Amino acid sequence: MSDKLTYAQVNRDIMRPLFTPTMAWHGLMALALTGLAIGGVCWGIQLVWGLGVAGYHPPVFWGVYITTFVFWVGIGHAGTLISAILFLTRSRWRTGIYRAAEAMTIFAVMTAALFPAIHVGRAWQAYWLFPYPNQRQLWQNFKSPLMWDVFAVSTYFTVSTVFFFIGLVPDIAAVRDNTRGYTQKLYAAMALGWHGTDRQWRHYMAAYGFFAALATPLVLSVHSVVSWDFAMAVTPGWHSTLFPPYFVAGAIFSGCAMVITLMLPLQRVFKLEAYIHTWHFEHLAKLCMFTGGILTYSYGCEYFIAWYSDNPYEWGTFVDRVVGKYWWVFATMVICNCTIPLLWWFKKVRTSFMGLFLVSIVINIGMWFERYNIIASSLAHSFDPAAWVYYTPTYIEMGILVGSFAWFFTWFLLFVKIMPSVAIAEIKETLRPPLKHDEEAAAK
Amino acid sequence: MSSSHATGAPGEAVKAVYRHLDCLLQGIHDLQKAGIKDFTVLSPIPRHEIDEMLYKGEPSPVRWFTLAGGILGGTMIFSLAALTHANWPMIIPGGKPLVSIPPFLVVTFEGTILWASMFTLVGLLKFCGLPATNLHPAIKDPRFTNDCFGIVFERSGTRLKEIVHILESSGATEVTHG
Repeated sequence: MSDKLTYAQVNRDIMRPLFTPTMAWHGLMALALTGLAIGGVCWGIQLVWGLGVAGYHPPVFWGVYITTFVFWVGIGHAGTLISAILFLTRSRWRTGIYRAAEAMTIFAVMTAALFPAIHVGRAWQAYWLFPYPNQRQLWQNFKSPLMWDVFAVSTYFTVSTVFFFIGLVPDIAAVRDNTRGYTQKLYAAMALGWHGTDRQWRHYMAAYGFFAALATPLVLSVHSVVSWDFAMAVTPGWHSTLFPPYFVAGAIFSGCAMVITLMLPLQRVFKLEAYIHTWHFEHLAKLCMFTGGILTYSYGCEYFIAWYSDNPYEWGTFVDRVVGKYWWVFATMVICNCTIPLLWWFKKVRTSFMGLFLVSIVINIGMWFERYNIIASSLAHSFDPAAWVYYTPTYIEMGILVGSFAWFFTWFLLFVKIMPSVAIAEIKETLRPPLKHDEEAAAK
Repeated sequence: MSSSHATGAPGEAVKAVYRHLDCLLQGIHDLQKAGIKDFTVLSPIPRHEIDEMLYKGEPSPVRWFTLAGGILGGTMIFSLAALTHANWPMIIPGGKPLVSIPPFLVVTFEGTILWASMFTLVGLLKFCGLPATNLHPAIKDPRFTNDCFGIVFERSGTRLKEIVHILESSGATEVTHG
């Protein structure tokens, strides 16, 4: 952060993009709302006609919806990793990007949370997933990974949202003090009467540290639990102890890539170059290179174990992924996740706008296909050859997938217009405080 | 608010605005040296120096809320899982126990984190006094969330002149009372 910045300038710069939508913002919002309408219509058709409109084909009853659920939960990992783990390790490069990354986490988990309801078909009965005493004599099974998943994702969402909101309070107070009329009243309500008193800061900083410490194990646990949705089943291609670290690495890989995809345009459009530098993106790219390395190793490890186990069903599934009908899914996954990200090992690529932007999009495409590869190809090629099928998504499923991206981007676009997308108070903390001593020394 | 110089009635509020952190710290030091307490320090950012001077490194009691929430949450969720399975005994092949610790640890862990976080939130709101609806008007100066620091006395007591003198001599750019 530049030492020439002043506290007042930080307030001005970061609040400048608020409230006044530009043509570019309107254009993106129109695009997002169109996608949302497509998704809404497709879901409406499914609600009326039932799950038959999805491409489910026995024995493949997990397809695009579960793939997309896992994809969005994975995207949600980077925000809390950046805001919590990098806070505890006092990494200074988190400051410029953590607010938008946290917001991304919340919106990604909100998107993921739609999919269990979409996937069960009868969305109005999705509340059956929650454990409570009821009259149907149906008690939830706490030994099921699906039940663990409900707890893991809802806990992650709740804790991340609280962490996000608490981080925002001092900045909302700053916005309140720079607005008037009804807008000020709205921000005043959200600021909860924050004025930066010694008492408020004292307990705030203690609580913030605790939130970070509590959110940290969640970063590692949520995708581990999601991976158990698969690993606890005996289906070939799923039943592996490798899954938790493999999924967590993949989640951080895709999450950091999505942060790059979102924050590069944000930096340029809102002219936040003084706060979000190329070295922020370079650090994110390095995190992707590290987790991408783990992921590539995991892909190799899976194949080694499948071969070494001498289990024909396991090995058969893994061979089928490469040479069977799903070869194109496997190839897309490997090219997008293992090969193209290697370009970031060149400093020139990982410090250029297009190099960062394009590779980050490629990674996210690859990570969606990774989940599709795990889910669809395993179910379509299970134990019994008579039950081998080829599942392909229908237009309804693809429409809902498009709608999920639109839902996510709609929330993000609203966020950047109503909340400071860079943390004002924390940016100020990184600056040298205004000292009379400095001014006197400069005058001499 | 009337502008200073120290002719106001004892007991009225005093507000000092600082542009520099070192002057603010000097002001706090001088007030403490004179044995004057019961003032509020305002800052746009958290500063450990302020915390150290006012609270002498005493940790925030929020931590007890976190601990209590974690213990309560973990116990409750484990009990929920155990009682659910004891109350509705499912036929499980292999003679596995109904109340089995390893699979219940997952939800116990999640419950511990969730309740510890919620209790931390309650502790934060309680000790910070949030939502704060009845703060003194002198505290609600928009400059304190922007680029200024401040010291506010809601009631200056009988030492108004002395307080104003200390605040001005420590380098406050503005001292008002009323």
